[in-house]
Amino acid sequence: MNRSDAPMPPALVSPLQRLRAASNRLTTRSAFPVLLAGLAGLVALFLAVPVVYIILRAVGADGEAWQRLLQARLWKLLGNTLLLMLAVTGGALVTGASMAWLTERSDLPGRKYFRWMFALPLAIPAYIGGIVHLALLRPRGGMLPRLLENLLGQPVYTPSPLGFWGAAFILILFTFPYVYLLSGAAFRSQHASLEEAARMLGYRPLRTFFSVALPAMRPGLLAGALLVALDILAEYGTVALLRYETFSSAIFVQLSGRYDRSAAAVLSGVLVGLAVIILWAELRSQGRARFTQMESSWRPAPTIRLGKWRIPALLVAGGVAFTSLLVPVGVLTTWSIQAVLDPETLRSVLHSGSMGFSNFAWNSLWTSFLAALLAITLSVPVALFSVRHPSRISRFIARVCQVGYAIPGVVIALSLVLLVNRALPFLYATPLIVVIAYVLRHVPQAVRASEAALNQVSPTLEEAARVSGRTPVQAFVQVTFPLILPGLLAGGALVFLTSLKELPATLLLRPAGFDTLAVRVWVWASDGFYVQAAPAALFLVLISAVPLSFLLRREQIFK
Amino acid sequence: MSLPRIASLLFILVLLLTACTPASPATPEVPTAAALPESTDVPTDVAATETVDQPISGKLVIYSGRSEPLIQPVIDAFKAEYPEVEVLLKAGSNSEIANALIEEQANTQADLFITTELFTVQSLAQQGIFQPYRPAAADQLPPEFVDPNNNWIGLTLRARVIMYNTDLVVPEDLPTSIFDLTDPKWKGKIAAAGSTNGSMQAQIAAMRQLLGEEETEAWLQGLLDNEVTFFGGHTDVRKAVGAGEFALGLVNHYYYHLQLAEGSKVGVIYPDQGDGQLGLITNTTAVAVVKGAQNVSAAQAFVDFLVSEQGQKLFAEQNYEYPLLPGVPLRDGVQPLESFRLAEVNVAEAALDSDATFDLMEKLELP
Repeated sequence: MNRSDAPMPPALVSPLQRLRAASNRLTTRSAFPVLLAGLAGLVALFLAVPVVYIILRAVGADGEAWQRLLQARLWKLLGNTLLLMLAVTGGALVTGASMAWLTERSDLPGRKYFRWMFALPLAIPAYIGGIVHLALLRPRGGMLPRLLENLLGQPVYTPSPLGFWGAAFILILFTFPYVYLLSGAAFRSQHASLEEAARMLGYRPLRTFFSVALPAMRPGLLAGALLVALDILAEYGTVALLRYETFSSAIFVQLSGRYDRSAAAVLSGVLVGLAVIILWAELRSQGRARFTQMESSWRPAPTIRLGKWRIPALLVAGGVAFTSLLVPVGVLTTWSIQAVLDPETLRSVLHSGSMGFSNFAWNSLWTSFLAALLAITLSVPVALFSVRHPSRISRFIARVCQVGYAIPGVVIALSLVLLVNRALPFLYATPLIVVIAYVLRHVPQAVRASEAALNQVSPTLEEAARVSGRTPVQAFVQVTFPLILPGLLAGGALVFLTSLKELPATLLLRPAGFDTLAVRVWVWASDGFYVQAAPAALFLVLISAVPLSFLLRREQIFK
Repeated sequence: MSLPRIASLLFILVLLLTACTPASPATPEVPTAAALPESTDVPTDVAATETVDQPISGKLVIYSGRSEPLIQPVIDAFKAEYPEVEVLLKAGSNSEIANALIEEQANTQADLFITTELFTVQSLAQQGIFQPYRPAAADQLPPEFVDPNNNWIGLTLRARVIMYNTDLVVPEDLPTSIFDLTDPKWKGKIAAAGSTNGSMQAQIAAMRQLLGEEETEAWLQGLLDNEVTFFGGHTDVRKAVGAGEFALGLVNHYYYHLQLAEGSKVGVIYPDQGDGQLGLITNTTAVAVVKGAQNVSAAQAFVDFLVSEQGQKLFAEQNYEYPLLPGVPLRDGVQPLESFRLAEVNVAEAALDSDATFDLMEKLELP
């Protein structure tokens, strides 16, 4: 996230540029860039195949499938999906940005702890949060309505977590941390003089915030919002659980309904089209979101005193942390203890499905780990090519490698099932196909991390190595690689984290007897066995917290 | 970012990874290698009765439309009989698994398919997904529950009933027909399973055949107008009725018994018994051996086990179902089917119409 590619002091630029030009000539003559381009191109091809395939299937579907969908469902699904996307993105923006303002700019008590509490919900998959809140709030049968009924002696109306509002509420709770982290970084890097100027012009604090502070954060907010939007398009578990139909859940129903793939392919094609538009906007905003230069006179913007708003602010921040982190973790812990204490439940927790608990925990870990390793490995040539040899081709390849963001897990699964079963039948129904799905979906995160890491390493270091007689490969291995390793690990941690949480692709692609934690939680919870699902869910959250806290600690404020 | 920190985190990660390994008995690859030579020993076109002397071992891949808790006890009992067999289970909805079986025709993964209604299995049989197998016990089963071509064999019956919460419904108000569920007096008070549930799909398919498209559509529309809550599965339905969230639930009969066993105040109605009424709708669970199965001997042994007295007893006792093998006693409290008038459905005909059932559910946007 800290892409502070600070420009070099002017005095150094000209000799360095000359040297770089010289070494560019040097490298262009060698075969290395060609090799790099070839590798990066292969990676891009590998990533693009499933998308192209599914779009071809959608376009090639018979007219009848299109017509049936156009008549009945397509518009409703489109409306549902867009509505949820807008509501959640808006809600996450407001929540994330205001919480970031509270922890970064105000004198909110306990800021240090709130930072962690606002970031950690990223370790909780939204569908697990949904399961917890559904059990708590379900109209009439939920724990809260029944508690109130017992206390007050009569049924009390409580808001339902089902349907549009419920889904929006749950998804906001578990996606706002994206916006929180990005806008928190933007708030911190804000220059004091900006707001001082506004105040000198006679702007009141509120107006200063809306006319100066907020616009300066637009790149960070936009990036966060678009990430949330892509996430919502791909979301399956939560909307299925809370019974709000979007493209992802409709595709899933299609796949488990009639014996006909073309309708699912059509829906997938439309969904991917929608996601590609958002991804394109996101990539553009990335291009524009140049980081502000930090001059020597930079001072952090002053902390704003909350005064009489201290208590309300504390209540709001506490409420957000409570519903998004403390409630899910607390409830899961309670259920887990119940499960462990009840011998029969414990037995079925430990020996369920075809395998035991350790078996599917291990499956979760090794598939996610392998996916992280592969994603990072694939990202390196792409990042090297696009950062060190910027050209139209390398930019195109880097863009193609971002396409995974736009393919929801359901669609990847559908595409892989159809594709692999025909082209590579020996891979079908092996755990490796699950790993491939994770890689396809999460390579973009790895590419971004690797690019960011490379951007921070000055090419002059490699050039020095080249001038002193190293081959390009040696220069990379001996000089560049050790320097970008922390960045690569961060990318790997991100891929590991998101792969652990992945549900729909795993559900559809897993071979018989192969379960992961996420799948077990889903299977149990959708059968209504919440207590049984809790230990696996809690364990999933805890191991997700490991790579997440590693990522957070890279940021200054989480140290 | 300091290197020691990275190193320590990596260390933790490795620890986490290794901590989980010893507990899992073996990496998935090892049994594969061990299983392959044995399973290839068995010619796939072996005749049904010649497998007796083969040692039964290796991997057995079961695709099950019965949800996991309803098949796991049977698998455990089978494993006790055949400890050499490693059973790998994939459970899902009938139609989801049917889709997988169709997709995998050229690249068979499953050995067995277990389903909760006959329409799916019949439709797949017509598409040539299965290989015939007739266990010795088949002769004892009622003939209508064995496929004439031996592509599938019935296991148990389940009745589609209405369960109710005894705190919320007084006896004189009780519905007697599934058509009473569309009565406005039950508005918002009914729970049922949704369109992805095999038993519900089968009920709709059966009604389409017995009553025709229009009347079935009117009934479904009536449920929707009556604000019936559709859950993904019946466990949610029974728990919700047991907890008093809903007065009535449209379920398979054993969900009533399972909920009763948890101590809830629930009752059951076997609907549509009057003159001119539909009769009780039942679903037949069934099993079939997949064509191209890797481990035919184990698959056939599993089928034998399911229709044996021991297997049938498990279904009857663990899950209150109606065993098809004569002489296997019902669990206490389960009302014998002989006391009811059953709706009679032509399975083969309904199976041909499965697309129309999906069309209907889609048209009405049944959740």
